[in-house]
Amino acid sequence: MPEIFINGQPVQAREDQTVLQVALENGFFVPYFCWHPQLSIAGNCRMCLVDVEGRGIDIACNMPVSAGMKVLTESDDVKAHRKAILQFITLNHPVDCGICDKAGECTLQDYHYIYNGDRSLSVDEKVHSTKFYNLSNRILLDNERCILCLRCTRFTHEVSKSMALGVERRGDVSNIRPVEDRPLGEDPYSDNIIDICPVGALLSRQFLHKSRIWYLKPTPSVCPGCERGCTVQIWHRKPEWFVKSLDARQNTSIARITPLENPAVNGPWICNKGRDLARIFERARADEPMMKGRPVPLAEALDAARRLIGAARHPVALVSSWGSNEELEAFKRHLGEVFHAHVKRDWLPEEGERLEDDLLIRPDKNPNRARALELFGDDEPGYHDGTDLVLVWGEGCDFASIPAQAKVIFLNSYLAPENGHADVFLPISIQTERTGHYTNFQGVVSAFEPCFPKAAAVSDAEALFRSLAAPARGHP
Amino acid sequence: MPGRQIIMSFPVTATSHTLAEYRSRGGYGALEKALRSMKPAEVVKEVTASGLQGRGGAAFPVGRKWQVMVYDDGQPHYLIANADEGEPGTFKDRWILENNPHVLLESMLITSYALNVRNCFVYIRGEFDLPYRRLAGAVEEAYAAGFFGERILGTDFSCDIVVYRGAGAYVAGEASGLISSLEGKKSYPRNRPPRLTVRGLYQRPTVVNNVESLSNIAWIVAHGAAAYKEIGTPKSPGTRLYSVSGHVNRPGVYEAELGYPWMKFLEEDCGGIVGGRAIKCVVPGGVSSKVLTGAEIKDLALSHEALWDVGSTLGSGGMIVIAEGTCMVTLSQILMRFYHHESCGQCTPCRHGTGWLHRIMDRIVAGQGRPEDIERLYYIAKFNDGTTICGLGDAAGYAISGILDKFRDEFEYYIEHKRSRYDGNLECLRSS
Repeated sequence: MPEIFINGQPVQAREDQTVLQVALENGFFVPYFCWHPQLSIAGNCRMCLVDVEGRGIDIACNMPVSAGMKVLTESDDVKAHRKAILQFITLNHPVDCGICDKAGECTLQDYHYIYNGDRSLSVDEKVHSTKFYNLSNRILLDNERCILCLRCTRFTHEVSKSMALGVERRGDVSNIRPVEDRPLGEDPYSDNIIDICPVGALLSRQFLHKSRIWYLKPTPSVCPGCERGCTVQIWHRKPEWFVKSLDARQNTSIARITPLENPAVNGPWICNKGRDLARIFERARADEPMMKGRPVPLAEALDAARRLIGAARHPVALVSSWGSNEELEAFKRHLGEVFHAHVKRDWLPEEGERLEDDLLIRPDKNPNRARALELFGDDEPGYHDGTDLVLVWGEGCDFASIPAQAKVIFLNSYLAPENGHADVFLPISIQTERTGHYTNFQGVVSAFEPCFPKAAAVSDAEALFRSLAAPARGHP
Repeated sequence: MPGRQIIMSFPVTATSHTLAEYRSRGGYGALEKALRSMKPAEVVKEVTASGLQGRGGAAFPVGRKWQVMVYDDGQPHYLIANADEGEPGTFKDRWILENNPHVLLESMLITSYALNVRNCFVYIRGEFDLPYRRLAGAVEEAYAAGFFGERILGTDFSCDIVVYRGAGAYVAGEASGLISSLEGKKSYPRNRPPRLTVRGLYQRPTVVNNVESLSNIAWIVAHGAAAYKEIGTPKSPGTRLYSVSGHVNRPGVYEAELGYPWMKFLEEDCGGIVGGRAIKCVVPGGVSSKVLTGAEIKDLALSHEALWDVGSTLGSGGMIVIAEGTCMVTLSQILMRFYHHESCGQCTPCRHGTGWLHRIMDRIVAGQGRPEDIERLYYIAKFNDGTTICGLGDAAGYAISGILDKFRDEFEYYIEHKRSRYDGNLECLRSS
């Protein structure tokens, strides 16, 4: 364990570490653009310059520690160099923060306020380049804002391995460009480059000019797209910034989704499916309990369901693999004795969807199958002639295979033709409206929290199960 | 002739570059000597003892670079001859490749033997046509004569060579940029550490030497380090090739012993200054070295230590002689255009700094300079120095600050009067 001195303070380092890593680990701030803990060292932004006694100014990200080295991270010389580097970086940068989606979470903006603060020393015209360059159907590129840190190219080479990006031309007219015949659009992890871009060069088409960052807040959640269960942040409008005169749906819709770093599951990445959860969660919702398609008050529907359960002799339940640990356990506790339960795959892979790879994507497209199987085993739903009641929880049920004589209680969150066919239909809440946990295929449990309120007649499944287990009130 | 000759020691004829004539001059004798009577470590020792310094620009001792290579560390080793001669004003390696390619090949074979190299490379500037054809022809001759391939001269030593043509990037002349290019990537230079002698081509220990540096090896092995040290000065042994251009009567490539008097060289060997004018300044070794005025070089000898003493360097040996009456502002504009054009764009200070320098120079030359521009040029030069991955950024800064230090008044004149004091002259007509 070599000991090094940062700003005069002794700190312990491991031999394979760089000065930047040691400094960050020990709470010394060193600014950087191109360095990223998950990517190779590029050393091209030159922002992490530090002063090493006897060696002068050099970059910290590529500097191996050696015992006794004395590093200064905030000397006047270092500050002057950082300021100059920012002068160079902003020389051809448009500084159009006012219309840039990255403003508010932009490293360049932050460092400018900390280390530079001055206007450009240059009086000459900036080098112009392409704006809104079409990288894929998901991503736009503003080459004028790009600082060529090459995080995005390194990501496609080292993490997603699509090799989809490279640099074209040289000098101050260098441009990030897609590589011919390696379309970025086919890289299922491409949107991560938007997050790791330290400036506003890579823009999400979905989020383009949708909202200023400071109107939004992130709520921790778990991606239900596959059994990996990546932790994500769902960004939605802060209550104090709710719009009043504009479309109020903005207040309750997902603005964007970013990864929530989690070394145990997904590291700092998620796949593009995880960015598109709005496509799943913002489908038309079922918000009325029904009996055979007739809207009824919740209490009446519950009563009817309880009676069906009470009368059934061979009830079967298809348990949702999208239910949280709490919901699955509630079902087991309250109804486990009553029903013969089978775990259902709510979602199957879609046409053209990547099934599996060695980064994140897993073959099973349901978030909590692991816990459901633990509780209910892996049998197929064995209907037989005596099956007289089927409780279907969640989507993905093959209604055609349910025996004709069986009554159906259906719990679903979304509008579907089957809702109206069920003897009793009960609308339930979705993940963004409640708290809960999912257990991923490795057994790692991750939590999600509510982002939006649920409609009045929509119930949480956990409460429903408790209520269904209560004895029926009276007789029809 | 300015002193003893090592590389240019024969009269150039239409056939002097061929294997037959090279052998008649004693060629490949040194290879024979090394393979038959010397151990690899002895070759390294001999070269280290000779004090040979790199001829590409940095004058780093060749032996010290070689010593970093561990002979039998179980990894493949590579040797690359840097023939990507792109420094403005430099065309000395071109002479070797055109007129004496076998001395390079023989030296590379000896070096490969010394450093346990199975495959060596010549990275040759893509714009070189005749040099490439001559070199490729020489490689063919050498293979046919059994100097390359398996079991050379009947010994256990085997070696192959690949000649690789660059695609026209100045940074590919920087050793690590060259390696990136040779690997088929964009010629982005690499951060050190690791050094190339630890992890170079294909992540293996690699020695990159300049063509001229390598070409001395055969002579050193043939005659011994002691004989080599007798040539030149104690601190800079041997000879150097100078490619002399600019306002001299006989521009061209010359070989001169190190320590040879500069003015004597220019007056006697290069035929003096065009039109008998005074020397305004000299770019000693490629435009990345700081210019020296006529007064400064008056009593100077051509040796590394003498130039270091006056804050410049012999660099790559690309000597540009500039006569009185030349406009240094216009010259600077051209230099800055070069650096701007050649910056690879990998690291921030150089990518933007070189363009910034160029735009300021363009503006001054267009008569729209501002008094603070001189300050700004110095600022860019200062913060380009030592903050970039390779030396190109530093070099652009040295070039402009070197000229500014000595000819600031010309810049001030240009900015104030919106025109050149010398009418923007770069040419020096014989009649004037």
